[in-house]
Order: sequence, then structure tokens, then C-alpha cells
Amino acid sequence: MPTQEQNQKFIVPIGPQHPALKEPGHFEFTVDGEIVTAASVRLGYVHRGIEKGTEDRTWTQNVYLLERICGICSHVHVTAYVVAVEQLAKVQAPPRAEAIRTIVAELERIHSHMLWLGVAAHEGGFDSLFMYSWRDRETVMDILETISGNRVHYSANILGGVKFDIDDQKRDFILKGLEFLEERTNHYMKIVTTDETFLGRTRNIGTMTKEQAIELGAVGPTARASGVTIDIRDSAPYSAYKTFPVNVITDETGDLLARFVVRIKELLESYRLIREILDHMPEGELAARIPRRIPAGETIHRVEAPRGELFYYVKSGGGDKPERIKVRTPSLCNWSSVINFAVGHKLADMPMILAGIDPCFSCNDRLIKIRRANQSQVWTWEDLRLHGIEYYR
Amino acid sequence: MNLPLPSIILLLFFPGGLFLIASGLVYQWADRKLVARFQNRIGPRWFQPLADVFKLLAKEEIVPTGAIKGLFHGLPIVALASALTAALYVPLAGFNASYSFQGDLIVVFYLLSVLTICIGLAGANNISRFSIIGATRTLTQIFSYEAPFLLALLGPAIAAGSWSISKINIYAQENVWLILAQPIGFVVALIGLMGKLELPPFDAPEAETEIVAGALTEYSGRGLALFRIGKDVELVIGLTLISALYLGGLANPLDFLWKTVVLLLVTAGLQALFARLRIDQTVGMWWRVGALLGLLQLLAIILGRLIGPLF
Repeated sequence: MPTQEQNQKFIVPIGPQHPALKEPGHFEFTVDGEIVTAASVRLGYVHRGIEKGTEDRTWTQNVYLLERICGICSHVHVTAYVVAVEQLAKVQAPPRAEAIRTIVAELERIHSHMLWLGVAAHEGGFDSLFMYSWRDRETVMDILETISGNRVHYSANILGGVKFDIDDQKRDFILKGLEFLEERTNHYMKIVTTDETFLGRTRNIGTMTKEQAIELGAVGPTARASGVTIDIRDSAPYSAYKTFPVNVITDETGDLLARFVVRIKELLESYRLIREILDHMPEGELAARIPRRIPAGETIHRVEAPRGELFYYVKSGGGDKPERIKVRTPSLCNWSSVINFAVGHKLADMPMILAGIDPCFSCNDRLIKIRRANQSQVWTWEDLRLHGIEYYR
Repeated sequence: MNLPLPSIILLLFFPGGLFLIASGLVYQWADRKLVARFQNRIGPRWFQPLADVFKLLAKEEIVPTGAIKGLFHGLPIVALASALTAALYVPLAGFNASYSFQGDLIVVFYLLSVLTICIGLAGANNISRFSIIGATRTLTQIFSYEAPFLLALLGPAIAAGSWSISKINIYAQENVWLILAQPIGFVVALIGLMGKLELPPFDAPEAETEIVAGALTEYSGRGLALFRIGKDVELVIGLTLISALYLGGLANPLDFLWKTVVLLLVTAGLQALFARLRIDQTVGMWWRVGALLGLLQLLAIILGRLIGPLF
């Protein structure tokens, strides 16, 4: 709560509308000159009620709804959901379907990391890297469009399998694209690790030690950059990762530079993995039959999204609609690291520290909190429903 | 080359006034287009800067609460006026400067600084937090590059033995290009100009991902248009000044065109090459490297003048 003393401090608000943010979030940085002395985050501007929405839709309809949680890691959300439902229904997706799921997931990781590379460079005022990495990202977008027909929401998964096959022609197209991307990625690795002005903005900025990363519950590349060996693809393999193991990429330094290096190395690892799967594609069906009503029960499933561990809890009451679906996205786990490591840095480093965790706002918003001074009330679902009816009358 | 025209036309239309503003817009376009092509973008169309100006002039100007109204409206005019005044003393478009006296180099130098100070004051006049931080950074930056930049402009003046830009221009035409004689001074001057214009990588005062538009965040209509024209004019004057001093002087319009365009090409390349420097990095760089290099160049010139006659 703002007190008199706090009001006299110089607070720089970033968001909800700000050029550094591509999605709405609100950050308050208390600064002393250029040095940040305190930071706070406020989320909830883009809460869409998707979790509640899933309870009104059938298992199949939810595939499409959950894909729209995130515009960048769309496929991985559905993978988590679909595998959880398959676990409940005791159905095993055919090996070829799992391989295709994994290929699409890795392609998605490539496009997500390249997008991040550009955004993070832009936050540091390095627009040339931004433009070039986004130009090259078009290659992987083209690959995704060629194999699935869509650039963003690929709709690769269906309950029990996948929708499309990867034939020889598509395979060659993917391999050709990867060759170009690999060359470019090596080039970016060189830029990020040798460009002096850029190193000045990333080296020893936002450093998080291994212990701190574990304590704050960081996940994904953010944690791996601090030397924490945490990767769901490795520690709890799912889909084709069981047969095609991943090398977990870690770095020891834990600063922004390490986060760049880890993500770029993960790009190279993804290229290797996709090539390996394409070389050993299992033959067989694309989908297994799945019942319309899923047997009662509850389950969890974890996957490694481009931003880190993605957690799904699915509960079925035995009907054709889920009883409860709970999603925990990786960005939510990483916020504490931003708020903790902002303090003591310069205001100019804030956008890069923010971008360093690759934040995704809309997928981690769980509630809307309307701030009115000295007034708080709790509404039940019924109250909200009545309010909604009244509001739109 | 001299222009047989009455002073009022020299002042208002050519080469000062309208022509200067027009060429400022063209150079802004060229700069944006070049940076865009270096970054593999398409870049703006040729009339985009002009369209921007018209759009801004037509827009409502909102005076934010807490700002002093007179200053808010007055500062853009002072800024543009000082930039236009500076143009009178430089050999613009390759023609002889309209006016010239001993010491106009220093006057031009400070007239160009007035623009930056106006931007700083305009930011400090607001209560917007982005404006205040932007103003602080603008004024911090002016203190860092000003001294090395002036040192770099001193070199040619000492070589020519005159404080008048016109005389240095004539000296530069008759002798070997000063970029060969004083390469360090040239580099410092060119980078100093980029700092003065707040071009990347020295764009910390208007870093959009941190403080939106810096000192000018609260400006929307006419004021913003005038500030932007002022900056464009400053770009042209700065390029003219450096080509006159270091690139063998400006004897005719063709000379002016190719020398300034080559300089613009170099600055555009530098803009695309680097990540933005933090304000503390900018200050550190100018005082640790820039000022030292400037002094070194000065020392070399003085030594050269002492030792030169001995041979």
C-alpha cells in the first residue's frame, strides 16, 4: 500500500502501455538517478478466462481453445493437454505421431528463440540484430506453414495423434531450411559473444547464481543460464524425447549474456534433434482412436515450452467435457527473478532484464485485480455472472 | 563560389531558410533510408519526412499540466532559430558563407548546442517522469561530448591559423585534406556529431524501450515538428562543417553534395553497427577515450607546428 513516504520517491512506470512491452504488464521501478532501488510487477491486464472456458467445451473443442493461450508457444500447450487426456483415456499415440509432435515442438522452439533474440536485441537498442534475426525467423515460419498450413496456430495435434504427415518433400524442405538457419545461428552466436557494445549491455547484468535460481523457482533457459540442469525433455521425457534424448544446455555465469548463449545453443541443439528424428522417422499410423467421453480421473502433464516448464492439470468427471483444467505457464515462475535482480541495476538495463526471461504476459494472467483505494471485495462466480448480465443488458 | 543575391533572399530562401529546411528533410530521409537498407528493411519513401512534418503541424498541441506554457511553446522556436542562425556562418551548399568573422567557428558550435539545451529544458519543463529522465540524460550527454567535439574542431582552426569557418574552408581547399593530416580529429568530430544529434548508439536520451521518447515525450504537434526540423537542420550543418574542415573544403555545390553524402553513408553505417550505449557508458567513453584522443591530436598538431619549420 502506498504510504506518504513512498509517494515522494521517483517511480518510473513501465506499462501497461509502453514501447518496451509488446503485451500489457505494469512495472514500477523506483529510481535514484539512474539506479533502480525497488521494483514491483503487476499483472492481470489480459486475463481471458480460458481455464474457465474449457469447462464449457468438449474435449475436442478444447484442443483449439488451449492452442490460443499463447501465440508463440501454441503447439506446446496443446501437446501438454493432449498427452494428459491420452493418459486419462489410456490411449497411446502412435510413434510416428509422437515424432511429428516433437518435430513441430522443436520448430516452434526455434521460432520462439529467434523471436526472443530479436526482441531482446531491440530492448538493448541493437536494431540491426533485431531486423536480421526476424528476417531469418521467416525461414522457420515458412517451414511451419509448409508442413501445417499455418504460421502461428499449427493445429498439429488432435486427441490421440496428429493431423498431418511429414512426407519426403516436406522433409527435404525442412532440412534445407535448417541448413540456412544453422549457418545464421552460428553467425549470431559470434555477434552476441564478440560485439563489444552489445557485451557491454549483457555481461554481468542481472546475474543470478545457481542457488538463487533454485530458491526463486526459475525455470527454462533462465534457470539453465544459471547452471541449473532443469529440462523436462531430459528429466521427464515425453513423446519422442524418450527415443531421441536431448542434451541439456547450461551455462555457469547466470547473467544476460549467458541467457543469450544458452538460447542460441538450444537453437543448434534443436536443429540436431530435428535432423535426427527426420532420419529415423518411425512408420505407422498418424492417430489412435480416442473415446468421446474420457473416463473419470485426474492427471498432470509437464512439457518443456520454449520458456521453460509448462504444467497442465486435467480432471475429468467421466463426461464429454473436462471438469477442471489448470495451466501453469513458465513466465509466472520467472517473474520473481526479474523483480529480485532489477534492484541495483541501471534503469537502462531494465528492458533487457525484463526481456531476458522471455516474458509472455497473456498466458500467465490468472485474475484481474482492479485497484481502488481502500476498497476490496470478493466476488463469487455467481456474482460475476450476474454482474456480466447486468453490465451488458 | 559567391552568390550575387540580396541578403534577405540569402537568409530566407537560399541557401538559408527554406532551402536549408528542405535539405534537412532530404538528409533525414537519406539517413533513415540508408540505415533501413543496412538493416535489411525497405525504409521510408522520399516524402516521408515532409509528410511527418505536415502531420505534426496539423495535430493538436497539448500542453501538459505542470508545464510552463510560455517555455513549452517558446523552446522549439528558439531551438529551430538557433540552428538556422548557425547556417549563416557555414559554407552551405558549397557557396561562401553569408556572414563571416573571426571566431564564428565557436559561435556556430554554441548555436548548435543551444538546440540540445532547448531539448533538455523542454524535458525538464514537464512533470512527466520520462521527460525528466530524458532531459537529465540529454544534459548529461552534452557535457560529455562537447569538450572532445570542440577539441576536434580546433585542430583545423589551428592548422589554418584562423577562427573563421570561411577562412578554414579556403585553407582546406588549397592544402592537403585535413583528414589525412589529422585523422584522429576527424574520427572524434564525426562521432561527436553523432552524439550531438543523438543518433544510435548515442540515443540513450531518447531510448524508446526505456523512456519512450525522452525529453520530447510530452510534445505532440507544432513543438515536436519544430524540434525535428531543428535536428534535421543541425544534421546538414554538422555534415557541412565536418566536410569543410576535414574533407578538403567545399568549393562548389557538387563538392558539397558528394562529400556530405559520403559522410552520411559513414554515419548511417555506424548507426546500424552498434547496440545502444547506456548513458554511463557514453559519458565514460567520451571522457576516457574521446577527450584523450582529442588532446592527443591537439598535441600532435602543436608538436608538428614546432618541429615542422625545422626541416
